[in-house]
Amino acid sequence: MTDLRLEDVSKVYGADGTGTSALEDVDITVRDGEFFTLVGPSGCGKTTTLRTIAGFEAPTDGAIRFDGREMAGVPPERRDVGVVFQSYALFPHMNVAENVGYGLRFREPPDGETVDKRVADLLKLVDLEGMGDREPDQLSGGQRQRVALARALAPAPDLLLLDEPMSALDAQLRESLRRQVTRIQSELGITTVYVTHDQAEALAISDRLAVMHDGRVEQVGRPQEIYREPATRFVAEFVGDNNVFEGDVRGRNGEYSQVAIDGETISLPALPDGADRAAFCVRPGALSQAADHNRLPVTVETSEFLGETVRVNGRWNGRRIVLQLSDVPESDELTVGFAPADAHIIDQD
Amino acid sequence: MSRPNRSDRGARLRRRSAGVRRWLERRALVLTTLVTAGVLAVMLYLPVGVVFVEAVIDDGTATLAFFRAVLTDPFYVGVLADVFAEPLAVRAHLESLVGWLGAISVSVSIESPLPGVSLPIPWLALEVPPIRKGLFGFTAYQAALSTIASVALGLPAAYVLANYEFRGRRTLRSLTILPFVLPGIMVAVGFYAMFGRAGTLNQGLGMLGLGPIPFMEWNPLAIVIVAHAFYNAPLVARVTVAAWESVDARSVETARSLGASPRRAFRDVVVPQLLPAILTGALLTFIFTFMTFPIVLALGGLQLATVEVWIYDRVRRLAYSEAATLAVLETLLSLALTYAYLRYESAQSGLARAATAPSRTPLFPDLRTALSPRRLAIIGYGLVALVVFVGPLASLVVGSVTDGNGVTLAHYAFLLERQLEGASYQTLPWVAIRNSLLFGVATLAVAVPMGVVVSVVTVRAGRGGTIVDTLAMLPLAVSGVVFGIGLLQGLVFGVSLPGGWRFQVTGGVAIVAAHAVAAYPFVTRNVSPLLSTLDPALVESARALGASRYRALRDVELPLVASGIVAGAAFAFAISIGEFSSTVILASGSQTYTMPVAVERYLGRRSGPAIAMGTVLLVVTAASFVVVDRVGGRFER
Repeated sequence: MTDLRLEDVSKVYGADGTGTSALEDVDITVRDGEFFTLVGPSGCGKTTTLRTIAGFEAPTDGAIRFDGREMAGVPPERRDVGVVFQSYALFPHMNVAENVGYGLRFREPPDGETVDKRVADLLKLVDLEGMGDREPDQLSGGQRQRVALARALAPAPDLLLLDEPMSALDAQLRESLRRQVTRIQSELGITTVYVTHDQAEALAISDRLAVMHDGRVEQVGRPQEIYREPATRFVAEFVGDNNVFEGDVRGRNGEYSQVAIDGETISLPALPDGADRAAFCVRPGALSQAADHNRLPVTVETSEFLGETVRVNGRWNGRRIVLQLSDVPESDELTVGFAPADAHIIDQD
Repeated sequence: MSRPNRSDRGARLRRRSAGVRRWLERRALVLTTLVTAGVLAVMLYLPVGVVFVEAVIDDGTATLAFFRAVLTDPFYVGVLADVFAEPLAVRAHLESLVGWLGAISVSVSIESPLPGVSLPIPWLALEVPPIRKGLFGFTAYQAALSTIASVALGLPAAYVLANYEFRGRRTLRSLTILPFVLPGIMVAVGFYAMFGRAGTLNQGLGMLGLGPIPFMEWNPLAIVIVAHAFYNAPLVARVTVAAWESVDARSVETARSLGASPRRAFRDVVVPQLLPAILTGALLTFIFTFMTFPIVLALGGLQLATVEVWIYDRVRRLAYSEAATLAVLETLLSLALTYAYLRYESAQSGLARAATAPSRTPLFPDLRTALSPRRLAIIGYGLVALVVFVGPLASLVVGSVTDGNGVTLAHYAFLLERQLEGASYQTLPWVAIRNSLLFGVATLAVAVPMGVVVSVVTVRAGRGGTIVDTLAMLPLAVSGVVFGIGLLQGLVFGVSLPGGWRFQVTGGVAIVAAHAVAAYPFVTRNVSPLLSTLDPALVESARALGASRYRALRDVELPLVASGIVAGAAFAFAISIGEFSSTVILASGSQTYTMPVAVERYLGRRSGPAIAMGTVLLVVTAASFVVVDRVGGRFER
C-alpha cells in the first residue's frame, strides 16, 4: 500500500521563519503496513508532525513523501489519508451512517461496493452493526471513537493517522479499544501513524516508535530497543522507570570500565577509549539485594504496592533511586547491587 | 456513427463542466471573499471616503478652512470656539475656566418645599453659571443625560432579572433585544402618540377631568431622553444580567465563610464583577445616543438639534461642504468613542463563566413577602417600566384607532384613500410597504452572504482576523446620516473614473447597499460566536475525508451555525425595514421611500395617519422579531 517518508521536516511558527520552532529536522520512515507511533510529552511536536503528514500544516522545510511522491502543495482532501482526532469530531448534525458515509461522497467505495454496503461493513468491523440510525450524542465515548475510526477507514485511505484517539477514555475501555484498533490495523494491513503521550501504550501497540522531545526525534526503533537501549538521557528517563547516573571515567579494569560517582566506584561494560564522562542507566528491576557487584546503600522513602511487585523510592548518596522489589522492605536501610552487564551506556552528545 | 460521437462530446462536456465546478469549489471561499471585499470597498469605504474628501477639498484644492470655520464658531463648539481660535493663549483660557468654576455656588438652606406643610428639609442648592455648549456640546450633554437615565432604568431590571424567579422571566430577558429591531422613527411616533396633546396620556387625564397638559411643548428634551432610555436601558440591563449570572455563587459563599456580611460580600465580590458590564453598557449607550437621529428629528426638531439632525438639515439645504465637515468631525468623535469602548471591552474580556450560577429566589412566593418593602419597591419599578416600555407601543396601537372623540378607523381609511386616489408625487402607503419589503428581501440576499463570509474569514484567520474584523465593523461606528451623505455623493451623484467613465448607482440599489452595509454586522455578530466554538477538527476531518475547503464549509460548518444565520438574517431584515437615517437622505424626491420615511412625511402634516402607518410598521417588525426569538437570536458577541 503506502510507505511514508519525512525528510528533514522542520516547522517554524511566526512570520518569516523567525518565530518559535515546532519541529527540527524530523527524519522518519514508516514502512508499508507498519503501526508506527509518535510518543513524547505534550508540546514535543508529535501532533504537529501528524498534522503536516495530513496536510493541515505545511512544513517550513524538508519534504514529506507518500510512496516517494512529494506531497508539498497537495491539500488534505487529495492525500487519501484517514484521520481520527482526540475529540473524534463526529459531525453532530449527521447520524452515524451519514458520518461514516461522508468520505464516500468524494471517493468511490472500494471494489465497486455500494455506499450503503460499505457503511454497513465498516460499522460491522468496529462492532457497531445496526447503529447507523443513531445520533452522535446518543453514543458513549467508546462508541463515538469507533464511529470516528469507521469514518476514517470508509474511503479506504492509504494512510491512517490517529491523534491521541484514546486519551478521553477511561483506562479499562482504553485497553479493549487498543486491542480492537491493532486487530483492525493488522487485518487491513494499513500503514498507520499513531500519536500518544503514553509511553506504556506506545510500547504495547507499536511495531516501531519514535520518541520526540522539543520538536526533535530522539530515537526511532522497535519497542524492545527503545526500552532496553535508550539512545539519549531523555529517552532513558521518559520510557519506563529508570535510574540514570553520570560519573567520571577512572580507567579500565579488565573487561569493565570504572566510573566514579561521588567517590564511589562503579563497574560498567567497557567504554570507548578517550571518554572522560559517562552516563548510564539501570532499570529498577536490575537492582537487587542479591547482586554482588556495585553495591549501593539505599535509604527508603516511600513504597508503592503494585500487586506483583513493589516500587520503592529511595535515595543513594542523596540521589533519587527507584527499585522494584518483590515485597515491601522491612527496614528503611537496605543495600542493592547490579551486574555491570545490566547497565546501559547512554551516548553522550 | 453520430450517436457515439455525441455521447463522446457529451462526456467531454460533462467532464469539463465537472472540472469547472471543482475549480470553482476550490476557489469559492477566495472568490466570495474577494466579492465581499469589493462590495465593502464600493458601498462602505468609497462613500465614507467621499465624505472625508468633500470636507477638505474646496474648488479642487485641499483646505482646512471648513474645519477652521466649524471649530471657531461658537454655534458649533460653544465656549471651546475661543480655545480653537487661539490654542496658544493657554493662560487666558485657564483664567476664564477658573472664573467659571469660581462662579459655581453651593448653598445649604432649610426650606419647606411642600406647600401648606411646614416640614423643614435641608436643601442643597447647586448653581452653575450658564455656559454656551454649542451643537457638539449639546449633543454630548443630551447623550450624557440619556446615559444616566438608561443606567438608572436598566439597573433595577438587571437586579430583578438576575436575582428573582418569576413567570415570564426568560421571555422578559430575551425581550431586552427588542430595541435593536424597533425602528427609531416608530418609537418616536409611539412617544408622540403617548405624550402628544391628543395622546393617550392626555386622554387618560381627560377621563379624570384633568389636562390636557402639553408635555411635548413643556420639556421636549425630557421626552427625548426617556425615548433614549426606552432604547438603551434594555441594553444596559442585558449586559449587566449577563455579568451578574456569571458571578460564581461559590465565590460569594467563600466570602461569607471568611466573615463577610451579605452586604459586604455583595460589595466586595459581586459589585467589582458588575462594574465593567455597567460601564460597557453606559459607553455603548453614550455612543448610540451621541449619534441619535430619528428620535430627535421627530420629537425635538431643529430646536433640539443634535449634530446628526443638523447635518441632515444642511444636506436638505444642499450645503454639502458644511454637512461633510460636520460629518467628519462627528465620525472622528464616534470612532474615538468606539475605539475606547473596544479597548475597554477587550481589557476585561476575562469574564469567567460561573462554575455555579447564583440561585434565584421566587419573586412573589406569598402575599406576606409581596408586601415587604423590597417587593413593593420592585412593584413600583415594574409600574414605571410598564409606562416607559409598554406605554409608547400601546399608545401607538391605541392612537391608530382613536381620535379625540373615541374609536375610529379614520386614520387607516385615510391611508387607503391616499393609496387609491393620491397623486404620484404624494407618499402612497402601499408603495412604502412594497418598497420596504422589497428592500428587506434584497438586503437579506446581500447582507447574509457578506456577514457569513466576514465571519468565516475573521474566525479562521487568527491574528489577521482582528484587523479584518475591525475594518468590517466600521459601519457600527459611522452614523446612518453620514453614510447616507456618502452614498448620495459617491454613488447617486456618481464618481468620475479615468477614461471618461462614470460610476453611478441610484434609487433602490443605493438604498439596498446602505441597508446591507448597516445590516451585515448583525449577521456576523450572530454567526461568529457559533463558528468560533466549533471544533476545528470537524473541518479537518471533512477535509481528510476528501472535502474541499468550500465543501467542508457547506457540509459541516454552515449546517451547524444555521440558527445563527437565520437569526442574523432576521436581524438584517428588521434593520432594513426600520432603517431611517440613510434612507431618508437617499429617498428624497424619489419613489424609493420606505415605511419609516413615509411615517416621517405623514408626521409633518397629520399625526393620525403617521400613527397608523407606524402601527403597520410595528406589525411587520414584530413578525421578524418573533423569528429572531424562535431561533435564539442574540446581539452579544
